[in-house]
Amino acid sequence: MSSMISINNVNKWYGDFQVLTDCSTSVSKGEVVVVCGPSGSGKSTLIKCVNALEPFQKGDIIVDGISVGDPKTNLPKLRSRVGMVFQHFELFPHLTIVENLAIAQTKVLGRSKEEAEAKGIKLLERVGLKAHAHKHPGQLSGGQQQRVAIARALAMDPICMLFDEPTSALDPEMINEVLDVMTELAKEGMTMMCVTHEMGFARRVADRVIFMDRGHIVEDCSKDDFFGTPRSERAQQFLSKILQH
Amino acid sequence: MNYNWDWNIFFKSTGIGNEIYLDWYITGLGWTLALALAAWLVALLLGGLLGVMRTLPNKWLSGIATCYVELFRNVPLLVQLFIWYFVVPDYLPESVQIWFKQDLNPAVSAYISVVVCLGLFTAARVCEQVRTGIQALPKGQSNAAQAVGFTVAQSYRYVLLPQAFRVVIPPLTSEFLNVFKNSSVASLIGLMEILAQAKQTAEFSANIFEAFTLATLIYFTLNMSIMKVMSIVEKRVRIPGLMVEGGK
Amino acid sequence: MDFSQIIPALPDLMDGMWLTLKLMVMAVVGGVVLGTVLALLRLSSNPVLSGLAKAYVNIFRSVPLLLVIIWFYLAVPMLLNWITGEFVAVGAFTSCLVAFMMFEAAYYCEIVRAGIQSIAKGQVNAAYALGMTYGQAMRLVVLPQAFRKMMPLLLQQSIILFQDTSLVYAVGLMDFLSSARSRGDILGLPHEFLLFAGLIYFVVSFAASRGVKHLQKRLAV
Repeated sequence: MSSMISINNVNKWYGDFQVLTDCSTSVSKGEVVVVCGPSGSGKSTLIKCVNALEPFQKGDIIVDGISVGDPKTNLPKLRSRVGMVFQHFELFPHLTIVENLAIAQTKVLGRSKEEAEAKGIKLLERVGLKAHAHKHPGQLSGGQQQRVAIARALAMDPICMLFDEPTSALDPEMINEVLDVMTELAKEGMTMMCVTHEMGFARRVADRVIFMDRGHIVEDCSKDDFFGTPRSERAQQFLSKILQH
Repeated sequence: MNYNWDWNIFFKSTGIGNEIYLDWYITGLGWTLALALAAWLVALLLGGLLGVMRTLPNKWLSGIATCYVELFRNVPLLVQLFIWYFVVPDYLPESVQIWFKQDLNPAVSAYISVVVCLGLFTAARVCEQVRTGIQALPKGQSNAAQAVGFTVAQSYRYVLLPQAFRVVIPPLTSEFLNVFKNSSVASLIGLMEILAQAKQTAEFSANIFEAFTLATLIYFTLNMSIMKVMSIVEKRVRIPGLMVEGGK
Repeated sequence: MDFSQIIPALPDLMDGMWLTLKLMVMAVVGGVVLGTVLALLRLSSNPVLSGLAKAYVNIFRSVPLLLVIIWFYLAVPMLLNWITGEFVAVGAFTSCLVAFMMFEAAYYCEIVRAGIQSIAKGQVNAAYALGMTYGQAMRLVVLPQAFRKMMPLLLQQSIILFQDTSLVYAVGLMDFLSSARSRGDILGLPHEFLLFAGLIYFVVSFAASRGVKHLQKRLAV
């Protein structure tokens, strides 16, 4: 399988503090990879390095054949092809829902307003929120906002999707509506890299699981290996803590 | 047109007595300091009182303070100065009027007008800062003070004001700086503070840029030194573990 | 006191008020534009640009507006003379307008900067993640939100500016205060005209700040 995202020996420091140490992994086309680990392990930082929202000092990341660390790379263009969903949704509060979906399509991809809005409405229908198209983000629940955020990313026809703890800021009863959308997306063959604590989702949907701790990739194996056979002590501790709940 | 740059101008004779231009600036600085410090004293005392009044449960007291603030904040400083200088003296008792207009040195009567004007003007702004400072304290503090048996006066004296005083130091510092800047309106009623001296120097010597650059420099230095002093004061009185706002 | 003479003088006073408002509106527009540019420079990662913007703001914020007005009144004609090489009549209005715009820009800069900084970093990240450039992220995502948030502060600063325009008295420009003073002197009723001017300033500023408070409450919801 051809590799969509490949991360090679990435190192990152905040001043003297090293947040990522020699991280290497890859995500193939159509693969769903879940990244987990305790807080402060560097997993969010790593996923933000993939579309260069966080700069890194050493190593390289290649997305669809394009080097992210290369200063000559047109980052806006690259990012427009990589969808991202954030922990705190980050919908634009001054725009209506449909405007949130249309703005980057028109301003970045150069689509016409009609085309962009039609596509936006179609995607809203898909995540079950067509009725809310003309509301502002503040009028929606957290779960609804996150579904809109996913639709907004999809509107750009991304070649792959990054999820940065998409359910951690949600009330428990809203988590599933978001996970359902993500599961459906995975079934359709979208390439996905998800930072999440939802081990149920990982078990059901993921092809591979990456476990991170203190800036290192400690485990990088298939889902069955991760949940089945013995593995590193730190991953075991983490899993036992998470799964008890 | 040619402009003769001459940064030595300040050490040259003004042609009046044996004064050099720098002497004018020193006199000007003296007036500015005398104006600002006296006006600040008035503003701090009156503004502090009004600020407390605005937070009191008594409707009359807080109403009076609110009216005061609205009145003094919504009329331009210059209009207020003209009223204090040209209008008010005419309505004083005869004997005071004669004393103010004839017996006093004109510079002194202008000085009194500016101090009163600037003091009362700034008091309205100090009042708002003090009020904000008191209201920013957690509601629990006032409840706790009353729960231990303090009267309203005691709870202000021992609990609220000592905390609010520290919170308001930064905004009050900026009001203090404003007093210095605002004192320049005194030049418009003939008091020879820094700005008036700079203007006079510019007109006498035709070295406009030098004259105003020095005045700018004096104001800038005044500003910076006051900010430095106040940040030291602020650190000194800081309560450990409290109010780290802005310090992250 | 005799306030009856004010009514026939109203047309003259209106001329003065017209100049005051014209000066204020132009200074607000120019000041906000220049202030926004300064704020973007201050937040830029280039240390030279942010240092220059910071120095500009610090200098203008530490001097009295009156000093800037008088200085510019004397200096702007001379500067233009140097640049164009010939004598140009600038007029007190233009030099005052330049002085107000440059002075107020320092204050607007700080308001805009705080407004931009109050927008969470996640919003910028989300804009970047959608492929926007820095300019697009600022223009389409950050500034519209920031301006909405800081609108009350910008308006409050503009009310202060409205009052401060009275300082043009120093260079003999016939604004509202100056025309009231001159009418009052001619008619021998200086007190009445001065108090009337004060009343008008009060009514306008008071009503405007009430409006701002109302807006603030609405925006807070």
